[in-house]
Amino acid sequence: MGHMIGKKLEPFRVQAYRQGAFLEVTDEDLKGHWSVVFFYPADFTFVCPTELGDLQDFYEEFQEAGCSIYSVSEDTHFVHKAWADASDTIRRIQYTMLGDPAGALARQFGVLCEEEGQALRATFILDPEGEIKAYEIHDMGIGRNAEELLRKVQAAQFVEAHGDQVCPAKWKPGEETLTPSLELVGLL
Amino acid sequence: MIDIRQIPAESSLLDEKTKETIAGVFAKLTRDVTLKAVVDLNEERSAEMASFLACLSGLSPHVKTELYTPEEGAGFAMDTEHLPATGLFLEDSYSGAAFHGVPGGKEINSFVIGIYNLAGPGQEIARGTVKKIEKISRPVHLQICVSLACHHCPGVVIACQRIAMLSPHVTAEMYDANLYPDLVERFGIDRVPLVAVNGQDRFLGPRTIEDLVQLCRDAAH
Repeated sequence: MGHMIGKKLEPFRVQAYRQGAFLEVTDEDLKGHWSVVFFYPADFTFVCPTELGDLQDFYEEFQEAGCSIYSVSEDTHFVHKAWADASDTIRRIQYTMLGDPAGALARQFGVLCEEEGQALRATFILDPEGEIKAYEIHDMGIGRNAEELLRKVQAAQFVEAHGDQVCPAKWKPGEETLTPSLELVGLL
Repeated sequence: MIDIRQIPAESSLLDEKTKETIAGVFAKLTRDVTLKAVVDLNEERSAEMASFLACLSGLSPHVKTELYTPEEGAGFAMDTEHLPATGLFLEDSYSGAAFHGVPGGKEINSFVIGIYNLAGPGQEIARGTVKKIEKISRPVHLQICVSLACHHCPGVVIACQRIAMLSPHVTAEMYDANLYPDLVERFGIDRVPLVAVNGQDRFLGPRTIEDLVQLCRDAAH
């Protein structure tokens, strides 16, 4: 099974809903800044508003990190609006909700369950060039954690800025001194 | 001064093969280096460092260890707040290079090379770089925060301390950040190596000695 890391965003054009308004979103809108593409199975389900509300709770932090959020389901933008009208949780969402009734986006990201016509719970982190840097794909019932997603975005941004030439420091008080590892080749 | 004869000259950190390799490097030393360590022997890491140094100084007649209590070490030029603190002295003259913590893991390399650079022929360094170091005219204090498992860290420590050894205006002290939560908080350290310049500007990741010389010359005061 292949993986998606490094895959570039392909052209797309979809209709979307955001804070009471309809808009068109293309692949170009996801370029020039970090993006999170957040697939969920369908509007008007129970786990979805919990996850989407969790994401909204961290929306400000994502904004501060220069990262835009796009949620996606296989519903139309009209259904997104109807859901926002019916649900307090969805009404307060500030990020863009993409409609993907034809399944083009879910198919592009490899997360469409063709028989159900629904997307898996999948999250993709894209860099400003539209390249996938990290992703997670869950089975339908398994929820995600927005705080952990924010940490991953920040980690991806850190690596982008500094390369992999720094070591993460996990401080563990009371840890034993490491045995010396003498490697003088090239130093003398 | 603490009588070093009361310290067991054995260290679980130095096996026979490691001691043999270090002795080979120390055989190239031409001058006498004194490792002046400020230790609190009631504290585990200080006791570990004292034994480590006692063991190390047994590997060469050019390497001497002196141990001091925190009260005795209070007047030293290096930071003696973060113990154990070990300064590298060329005989009695402070080189500007110091280590805080026990240099296990990857940092054994910076410790051994630091001694080699101070009292031996030293690593090759471009004449132009030396000239730039000699032109540093204002005080610069470098704090290099590392973790012992970090393979990028020793190179930065070695380069910073080389600059310190070649400039009377520069000091370079290594900290095993795992031991000093106050520094982790102060500098917001979650990745290493991190170099703090004059306690203000912070720089992450590996850097060449030329880059570090430039940092010293650009340092804010």
